[in-house]
Amino acid sequence: MLRFFKGFGLLSVFLLGSVATPAQSAGDLLVAPTRVVLDGSRGTEVVLNNIGSEPATYRISLEIKRMTAAGGLDEIAEADVTPAERLALDMIAFSPRRVTLPPNQPQVIRVGVRIPEGTPPGEYRAHMLFRAVPDAAPVVAADPAKPAGNGVSIALIPIYGITIPVIIRVGDLGAEATIGDAWVGDTPDGPAFNFGLTRTGNRSVYGDIEVTRPGVSEPLLVARGIAVYPEVGAREVSLRVPPELAARLKGPVRIRYSEDRDIGGGTIDEAERVVK
Amino acid sequence: MRKFGMKRAVVGAAIAALALNAPAAHAASATATATAKILRQITLTNTSALQYATIISGATASTVQVSTAGARICGAGLTCTGTTTAANFDVQGTDGAVVLVGGDPSVTLNGSLGGTMTSSLTYSVPNITLGATGGNFQVGGTLSVGANQTAGDYTGTFNVTANYQ
Repeated sequence: MLRFFKGFGLLSVFLLGSVATPAQSAGDLLVAPTRVVLDGSRGTEVVLNNIGSEPATYRISLEIKRMTAAGGLDEIAEADVTPAERLALDMIAFSPRRVTLPPNQPQVIRVGVRIPEGTPPGEYRAHMLFRAVPDAAPVVAADPAKPAGNGVSIALIPIYGITIPVIIRVGDLGAEATIGDAWVGDTPDGPAFNFGLTRTGNRSVYGDIEVTRPGVSEPLLVARGIAVYPEVGAREVSLRVPPELAARLKGPVRIRYSEDRDIGGGTIDEAERVVK
Repeated sequence: MRKFGMKRAVVGAAIAALALNAPAAHAASATATATAKILRQITLTNTSALQYATIISGATASTVQVSTAGARICGAGLTCTGTTTAANFDVQGTDGAVVLVGGDPSVTLNGSLGGTMTSSLTYSVPNITLGATGGNFQVGGTLSVGANQTAGDYTGTFNVTANYQ
């Protein structure tokens, strides 16, 4: 709560105090872990928890998403998936698919994989989506402040959720990545630190980025959980940074892309760059 | 609230770990083993709604814009009252983790007395790097109001996701 106040300042305090916000936070959720990699020999479990203040019904489903060169994830309609993406959807079994949870009640979702005979080696991936099923449209109470006649009032209800990748690796796969140019640029939302990542091989690369200034031990910037998926050979990584950090990032830096700490944290690539 | 949620996730995982280890109890050895696995987690909380407040339509079609900061621009010919807010989502997770955010580019609203309107949706950022106190993003939009739009209460739903890569 504190963070929310801090972020939104006095305006929010005023709003919370004066407006009864309808059906807030029914559907808030926690998901752990945030990434699943399976080789088909055994399954795993994902924990879903209702962290809202009211009971909520959650639906769990699989989606196909493709990485873009800009580093985003595009949702792909089921009708447009490739045969390999279809195979990923078919290989992953999970249950339950729908669950109603009281507040602070965790639920384990079991995830299994069945790799059909003769599946070509490669990396198969789907994204598991957890999201609350909305209640029936709430009855809007008559608003005495609303002028009669031609007044229009609006209620927009977000259906929000979390996706985590479920990755299946078949066969002996390898991949490497190379750090490209790095620069500080402006976005409509403020400055961003940008750099390129090029990938080769037959699987995704995933890891943490650490930007340090030579001779200074404290890193300037740490960004964890950056992937380059097999559908792209290269992507741009664009990380919004506060203006003072953007200014400090300019000049000579060392960028290190390392594997996840869970699997040893080995270096994938390391490069000296002069940030413009 | 966040701490409690995290604790629960660990408990859930610990139960799972214990269940997996259950066959070990059949072994002859009397040594007991306690295992716990801490899982990385992500939470998503909706802390404010996208509010266009109340609009009185005019003789010509117009728009009402709510920026991702919650500020309103009331189009020509319209009368806007009440307080507007952008939708705010709070994300918690591993310090330094990069989370991609996004959702529907537009939403259709249906009126209680008939009529529809559409709203485009804008997201404050395409991704956030979580700090020690997490991160947040906002959703604003531009509502297209028709000439003499039918009065009533309009509702619509839109999808928003926080995606780990």
